[in-house]
Amino acid sequence: MNSLTPTQRDRGLQRLRRLTFGATAGGLIAVVGVSYAAAASYAGKASSSGTALTATTTTDTTTSSSSLSTSSSGDLQSAAQAPTTGSSGTATVTSGGS
Amino acid sequence: MAIALKSWTALGTSVHVLSTHDDGLEAATTAVRDVLEDVDEAYSRFREDSELTRLNANAGRTIRISPLLATAIDAALRAARLTDGAVDPTIGRAIRVAGYDDDFSRIAAEDSEERGREMRLRAWHVPGWQGIRLDRRLRTVWLPHGVELDLGSTGKALAADLAATAALAAVGGGGVLVSLGGDIAVAGEPPSGGWRILVAEDSRVKPDGDGDVICVPSGGVATSSTTVRRWSRGGAVFHHIIDPQTSLPTSGPFRTVTVVAATCVDANIASTAAIVRGEAAIDWLTSCRLPARLVENDGTIHYIGPWPDPASVAA
Repeated sequence: MNSLTPTQRDRGLQRLRRLTFGATAGGLIAVVGVSYAAAASYAGKASSSGTALTATTTTDTTTSSSSLSTSSSGDLQSAAQAPTTGSSGTATVTSGGS
Repeated sequence: MAIALKSWTALGTSVHVLSTHDDGLEAATTAVRDVLEDVDEAYSRFREDSELTRLNANAGRTIRISPLLATAIDAALRAARLTDGAVDPTIGRAIRVAGYDDDFSRIAAEDSEERGREMRLRAWHVPGWQGIRLDRRLRTVWLPHGVELDLGSTGKALAADLAATAALAAVGGGGVLVSLGGDIAVAGEPPSGGWRILVAEDSRVKPDGDGDVICVPSGGVATSSTTVRRWSRGGAVFHHIIDPQTSLPTSGPFRTVTVVAATCVDANIASTAAIVRGEAAIDWLTSCRLPARLVENDGTIHYIGPWPDPASVAA
């Protein structure tokens, strides 16, 4: 078996380090790339709030929630003045089922 | 103060417009007619060419809608949210399957015996309002497959609110009252002491008859009742207030509920939800702090919140 000289061994070790670094960097780039592709492909399927929304796009879901919460939130509102009692037979209109 | 009155029929129900300005009645009436025509075109369930009919036929697709229909759907979704789904606009197919599939005047005239053989014991699951996606900014709406909207409950009350606002603007002063089938909205300066309203179970009762009269200075009044708009199918009697949990007409202890609120929409949401909620209605209405009058099936009457004492009659 041929024995390596110290110079040959050092060059081999450097080559091995370059290969290891290259493989690691390549793997990292691949992971980032695949993650980006996955995120782009499935945008809108997940909700940051964790609610079970089934929106087709992220934009729809976000806009719907915000518009509803700002435009039509709040409790049922009482009239500014409470009703009072009137005399029977003096009404001008009837409230009833129809 | 003299009050001018104009009455006619629209949207399958009675319309009354009252104005404290005698010379403003014509303008008020024209404004109300215009609003009701817009409403009919936007969200009538019985017109093949209405926006709502087209929307219901396009479930599963994002549809751009008019500002009026967007407002009506928004009001219906708010009603569903505030009542935990007791008032749910996705009852469209359930109420159609129950037999209310045409203008009510034609429903009542049909041969119930004949239709009963077809309709016996059929019910359609109410899918629930949560699946509706409304984008108010873009004015688009998306309905899940199988969902048909019915905006009848909040829709009529919204029409009354919009009509009263439009009528007041047209008159330019004074006060106006608009009643659509007993759902009432008022705007502007009321007559002295407030608008005098007879509270009954049927809106066709003449207002000068005996009964509870309340004076309302502002806001809206709505009455929901299972005693009207009834029909027979397969030997069973149906009415138009659907319980979303059972997909069938409600069968609770209250047959009629009247509520006073800041708007006719809010009054209608509360009165309809009270009928659907049944025994839980009294506690719920009390927590809402809205004046309400509930009539049990046996005729017993309950007064909730700041409802005026029937014993103390105003001068």
